[in-house]
Amino acid sequence: MIKFLIKGVLRDRSRSLFPVLTVTAGVFLTVVGFSWINGIQSNWVEVTAKYNTGHLDVMTRAYAEESEQSPIELAYIGLDQLLNDLRQDFPELIWTPRIKFGGLLDIPDENGETKVQGPCMGMAVDLFSKQTPDINILNLQDSVIRGRLPEKPSEILITEEFAQRLGVSMGQTATLISSTMYGSMAITNFSVTGTVRFGVSAMDRSTIIADISDIQNALNMENASGEVLGFFRDNLYENEKAQEIAQHFNSKYSDQDDEFSPIMSTLIQKSGLEDILGMVNMYGGVIIFVFVVVMSIVLWNAGLMGSLRRYGEIGVRMAIGEDKGHLYRSLIIESLIIGFIGSVLGTIIGLGLSFYLQAKGINIAYMMKNSTLMISDTFRANVTSLSYYVGFIPGMLATFLGSVISGLGIYKRKTSQLMKELET
Amino acid sequence: MTLFKLAFKNLLGAGIRTWLNVVVLSLSFVVIIWMQGLYKGMNNQAVTSTIDVIYAGGQYWQESYDPYDPLTLQDAHGVLPDELKSLIKKEEATALLIIQGTAYPQGRMMNLLIKGIAPDQKIISIPSHFLDKETKDIPAVIGTRMSESTGLKKGDTVTLRWRDANGTFDARDATIVQVMRTTVQTIDQGQIWVPLERLRELSRMEGEATLVIVDKDIANPSKTEGWEFKSLDFLLQDIKQLVQTKTAGASIFYVILLLLAMLAIFNTQVLSIFRRRKEIGTLMAIGFTRAKVIWLFTIEGAMHAVLAALVAALYGIPFLTWFSKTGWSLPESVDSYGFAIGEKLFPVYSAGLVIGTTVLVLVVTTIVSFIPTRKIAKLKPTDALRGKSS
Amino acid sequence: MNLWKNIILFALIFLITSGPSIQAQTLSGEQILERVDNNYGSDNKIMVATMVIHGRRGSREVTSKTWVKGDDRSFTEYLAPPREKGTKMLKLGDQLWMFSPSTDRTIQISGHMLRQSVMGSDLSYEDMMEDPKLQNMYNAQVISEETYMDRPCWVLELTSLKEDIAYHSRKIWVDKERYVVLKEDRFAKGGKLLKTTEVKKVEQIDDRWVPTHALFKDVLKNGEGTEFRVESMEFNAEIPEYIFTKAALRR
Repeated sequence: MIKFLIKGVLRDRSRSLFPVLTVTAGVFLTVVGFSWINGIQSNWVEVTAKYNTGHLDVMTRAYAEESEQSPIELAYIGLDQLLNDLRQDFPELIWTPRIKFGGLLDIPDENGETKVQGPCMGMAVDLFSKQTPDINILNLQDSVIRGRLPEKPSEILITEEFAQRLGVSMGQTATLISSTMYGSMAITNFSVTGTVRFGVSAMDRSTIIADISDIQNALNMENASGEVLGFFRDNLYENEKAQEIAQHFNSKYSDQDDEFSPIMSTLIQKSGLEDILGMVNMYGGVIIFVFVVVMSIVLWNAGLMGSLRRYGEIGVRMAIGEDKGHLYRSLIIESLIIGFIGSVLGTIIGLGLSFYLQAKGINIAYMMKNSTLMISDTFRANVTSLSYYVGFIPGMLATFLGSVISGLGIYKRKTSQLMKELET
Repeated sequence: MTLFKLAFKNLLGAGIRTWLNVVVLSLSFVVIIWMQGLYKGMNNQAVTSTIDVIYAGGQYWQESYDPYDPLTLQDAHGVLPDELKSLIKKEEATALLIIQGTAYPQGRMMNLLIKGIAPDQKIISIPSHFLDKETKDIPAVIGTRMSESTGLKKGDTVTLRWRDANGTFDARDATIVQVMRTTVQTIDQGQIWVPLERLRELSRMEGEATLVIVDKDIANPSKTEGWEFKSLDFLLQDIKQLVQTKTAGASIFYVILLLLAMLAIFNTQVLSIFRRRKEIGTLMAIGFTRAKVIWLFTIEGAMHAVLAALVAALYGIPFLTWFSKTGWSLPESVDSYGFAIGEKLFPVYSAGLVIGTTVLVLVVTTIVSFIPTRKIAKLKPTDALRGKSS
Repeated sequence: MNLWKNIILFALIFLITSGPSIQAQTLSGEQILERVDNNYGSDNKIMVATMVIHGRRGSREVTSKTWVKGDDRSFTEYLAPPREKGTKMLKLGDQLWMFSPSTDRTIQISGHMLRQSVMGSDLSYEDMMEDPKLQNMYNAQVISEETYMDRPCWVLELTSLKEDIAYHSRKIWVDKERYVVLKEDRFAKGGKLLKTTEVKKVEQIDDRWVPTHALFKDVLKNGEGTEFRVESMEFNAEIPEYIFTKAALRR
């Protein structure tokens, strides 16, 4: 019978095309909507991930305890080996070292005497290595306001606001006065090659961005780093996966009795974002739920419509002696076939768009006044395993329910009146 | 007019089918408004709780005060000018004194800000009244995040060290009298709150302050020598931008919801035109022009939306009102870095949002109703009468 | 160059006493303090010292050579470890410069920076600029007599004379014979103990008694503090004037 019904569905365009299209469209919207809401949830933590904690964060146990003060004296020594291990054990993430430091930026006059100086916050990132992920992660290329990105050692970026306050022009020398990881004073010359803007006042005030190797040299941190950040390759934070990785790493590499052994923590553990993620997840969950319910009603409605439309056909089939139960069952199976085809098609198209939106994202910069923001203005969808079957809930269930209910009408009809109906 | 009447009659005549569509469409209405309201509410909540807790009606900053420059903080205090003093006396403002200090929780060293606030102030909602205690130790209030990073709990004692106005070291024990649960990080992380007068006395900054917070209703702040007024627009700049970004991201979902509404109505229209070929043929046979028939069907479709709006109003208004009053209880202490959300989320529906959504859905429904009707134009009346579609 | 080193160096300099000891009968606190200050001496000194910094990662040693002339001029050059070698520091009165050879820059530590604590340490640049003569800053009172390190000592309570003194009061244990400060506690205005200095060893160099090994500790903080060892000490040495110029920093 199923074969017969499939043939019918395929051959009778009016019976199949619209219902399938409707289901497809509905499922498509569900999949995209679901993935999108998922993506938005990640966006909440993206800024923190980029500038602070990554999706996963490795540091020494001692550093972790005081991490809000960025205590470089507790940095991890033996970075190369650690990076090797991380990249080997967890190739699904991008691993990149970061050093956060503080200090003074001092601008000399022509005699080498201090002209002006100000306190600064520093972020040492990978600027020069061939496959550096940091330029992308921090969206540096697009954030340059004046000048250019550093290209060789001893070149740094500083924020535009800071540059203006200090009166620095591009190419000028700036001396960083900071402290090495052993507490000695560190004085290092840099050349300012460009300015950037973050769009976050606290950072725009006085941040400098330098290459990690320069800062390692400057702060006596050879083969050391304050933190090593890990980013999922698709740039989307997934808590369960992250927790699993952290657990795996810690059981293998972390030693409770050695305060300088590495420890890995997840974005939400580190940033105190557990609550916000919980909230956003809950919020997102409710939205998805409501959306799926509404979509189900729409498609159920479509299912009802479909059966009502075929009033005449059903009458004929009853008239030629088809059993009511058989008729009812065939209607339901047919709706399931339609629902299935529609759901598969909708899911395929929806996943396609979702993957596209995940990879490319939608840049809403044009909606914002400041298009040079480094804070994330690109929103992405996030395809999770649930994305693959969420569309089947409204797609199949709703069409099924629709025909189950509307099909009940069959039992109300009387054969004696069929001919009369057919005449009209 | 007859068209409208006819369309209306047709709609009512279709009975359950119409109502199904109307209910579905009305659901889209309500959901769109509800979701946008929630987002707005989140936006609003973040801003209002920050205002409540620290900004009130704006702040006067002592001219050297710069929240992002720790080096200048030691100079960022001054004797209050008379204008501000009288504001404080009238309970229309309250003063804060901020000095840099070091805390030694369990022998760890930790730089922080010591903030003095009048225990009896009513300008901001920070629980300063806990500081109203006559104790040998300095009574102090910290936030939950600070409590976590220092390991200090209510009743614990911690040594604070700072330098007074002359640069002399002073160190005292402070007892945590309260750990406040706040969603606003700007009053939590890296700081400890103590009674203003005590801090003034200990730091030898009698009668001085770093900033003065004015009450919400003080509209036009006067100019004061050596003190700069910072408006809410200035103070909230970052958080507003963040919220704006998030809202823009959500607007894509709005589009998806609209598409859902379109889908609902499109489906109905296509089916009804298919089903009502005979009727269309009849209408044409009795002299309806094609244009008229198209109009009739378009109006029918649009009326769905009107009915849906009415139905949506019927249950939507009570639901949305109830929801905006009850709010949405969020899990404990929900907030991100500096982004504040109250304990409960109250959606905010602006007239613009409601009217905008209604109009948008109406327009979209009308357009969507019109598109399938073009098929009518291709129908031959004779075929239509026989129930054939071309 | 490490500020700790400098700070402790300067702090130690005033602890280092010299000159023949005068048999004391009943001296007032002021008189004892005067003798302590006199023992510190305004003469020229050249000193090589090593500091042992006990950190969480283990200990680290830093060696420096310091030329001191009078009360308010000093020049320090770092000898080890290699990274610090060549870093110089010049103090002239209330001004402080630092020179880093790698950048060829001389940087004045001034203004707000002076009061800034250095990388979370409890010592500020300002501490380094402190007047080495205790009597210029404090009133003194003998509060008791105790034996410390098997030496009979006076215990003096010092209370600040002026308002802008970093440590409101101090307690010092002064060797009755040698006028060497053997132990020192520094207090905050509220009376809380902030820092302690304990001399571990006193040696005779030429005809002076000099503490050659001391331990400094911030008592509010966990940790083992910082040790200071004098490697060599030369009194009344010839120090050319040009050493105390900014030009000498670059040399």
